[in-house]
Amino acid sequence: MNIWIISIQNIKSKPLYTFLSVFILSISIALLLGIQQLKRSFENQIENNLGKIDVVVGAKGSPLQLVLASVLHLDNPTGNISYNEALKISKNPLIKFAVPISYGDNYKGFRIVGTTPEYIALYDGELEKGHPVENAMEVILGNSVARKLNLKIGDTLLSSHGLVENSIEEHDDLLIVVGILKPTQKVIDRLIVTNLESVWYVHDHGGEVNYERHDDNKRHGEKEITSLLINFKSPRGLLPFLRRINKRTNMQASLPKYELHKLYENTSIGFKTISLIAYLILVISCITIFISLYKMVKERAFDLAILRTYGASNFQLMKMVFYEGLIVAFSSFLLGFLLLKIGLGFMFHFMEYNDQQNMLQESLFQDVLQIGALILMMVIVSVSLAIYPIIKMNISTILSNEK
Amino acid sequence: MAYSSLNKRVVFIKFRMIQTENLTYQYKKRGAILSFPNIALEKGKNLLILGESGIGKTTLLHLLAGLLKPVTGNVFIDNTDLNALKSNKLDKFRGKNIGLVFQKKHAIVSLNVFNNLKARLLFSNALVHNKKIEIVLKQLGLSELKKNKISELSEGQLQRLGIALSVIHNPKVLLADEPTSSLDDKNCKIVIKLLKNQAKQTNANLIVITHDHRIKSFFQNSITL
Repeated sequence: MNIWIISIQNIKSKPLYTFLSVFILSISIALLLGIQQLKRSFENQIENNLGKIDVVVGAKGSPLQLVLASVLHLDNPTGNISYNEALKISKNPLIKFAVPISYGDNYKGFRIVGTTPEYIALYDGELEKGHPVENAMEVILGNSVARKLNLKIGDTLLSSHGLVENSIEEHDDLLIVVGILKPTQKVIDRLIVTNLESVWYVHDHGGEVNYERHDDNKRHGEKEITSLLINFKSPRGLLPFLRRINKRTNMQASLPKYELHKLYENTSIGFKTISLIAYLILVISCITIFISLYKMVKERAFDLAILRTYGASNFQLMKMVFYEGLIVAFSSFLLGFLLLKIGLGFMFHFMEYNDQQNMLQESLFQDVLQIGALILMMVIVSVSLAIYPIIKMNISTILSNEK
Repeated sequence: MAYSSLNKRVVFIKFRMIQTENLTYQYKKRGAILSFPNIALEKGKNLLILGESGIGKTTLLHLLAGLLKPVTGNVFIDNTDLNALKSNKLDKFRGKNIGLVFQKKHAIVSLNVFNNLKARLLFSNALVHNKKIEIVLKQLGLSELKKNKISELSEGQLQRLGIALSVIHNPKVLLADEPTSSLDDKNCKIVIKLLKNQAKQTNANLIVITHDHRIKSFFQNSITL
């Protein structure tokens, strides 16, 4: 027998209030954690996809579009640039490594990216099965691609022109799967990676050419790529490099981190609003806990007075009420966490299916701790307020009024 | 007794378990002053205090239990001056040495019969001894009801539970406030006999404060307020 047991019995004796408090508090905890996690997941997703890319060089146009197209693979490219020009830029001594990428085709909606082996290293990708691309027309698949399309090593695929799924503009040349990557939770999971030669080959011999840039490609007989992803040795060389490219060439250089940061600034209002609502719910749930504890103290004034005649000190009674608040808070936390896992599980399942995105599902310990501390603080405040009548309690008066 | 100022008194009150001196109490600053006769009770003796309603019976009981501080005068229980104890020490002293029986409500509603007795022992810092609880429950005819909720007990059963709660920790003094006034004649007799028995078994002093004249014949010593 100890004070915990008495607190638990007290809670059990008022199931409706307890249920209400736990219910509302757990919902606000789930919401708060969920929003934090979605936000982190979103940021993490993008941050991850940046990999080691400091600068993207591509055709002139919108810098954000260049980043979205060449880094996140979400948009159409701004155009093509000359492979020779790109090679020249890559020789800059400040550059650690530069990866050319070229794309324009898809297989069942998944982009086919022609590049060098360093591309996979940009995302710390590793092969799960098979071997790296050695010859033209060999491809390795991102993990999601292999999983969703149920492709194995040795399977062949016909690419279609453009970046969206279509069966009308199929090329004739067969691509063969030689490797499958391990999951990375990065953009490479939903890409089909091959070498630059494959892309050039398909388009040189591929017959119909619809895109203007392909006309250019053919007309000049010069090799082209879509963009160049660059990793710098140190950030010091970045700005002069950027200025030179943007001023002196017909290409543009864009900073993915900067562009995406600008994008967040404008889109984070949604997160902020939902967070605010979640905090409001949290405040309301703490008020509910306060009311239920306060009511308990008021209604049970006689019980508490009797406990005092049993020899309980004020401090022990406060402990009893505090434990009750703590039990409610703790069970709400567990339930909230459970709700969150179930809710996010559904949501991510749904999103992954639709957007071919792999999202971060683990809650960050830091977030959980932060919200846990917040809840604890709110409970301490509401319990302290509820305890006040105990301190003020006049046992004699309460006992005399009993009759 | 650690209080050196009390040393002289110790000799004086050596044989008294309960002793009061010139007790007065005043509820409001300009209200009437209630003054009470001195009480001196040797160990093992019982006392009936009779008085009509509103005369300050409960006030006297609360003064004896240290629930109220007198305006003047002192209460000594087992040679301890209640006035000299700080609130926390007083709580503990009361929990250990005094058993209180009330008129109607006795127990904590969220706990069952058995757990109420456990809580009683817990807070009086006594050993929580299940066997002891069983014995007391048996003596008071409550063994069958030990798992019951408080709300499931009848008035007579509640009163018996009240007695169990007030004696379970072997107090030195048993104070009962109108323990019989809401009971019928039969239960009144049972309760008062049980109270006396329990007091005798634990060698405690029993003080009953009541306006119920039915129980006068059960006590040798009585005073009227």
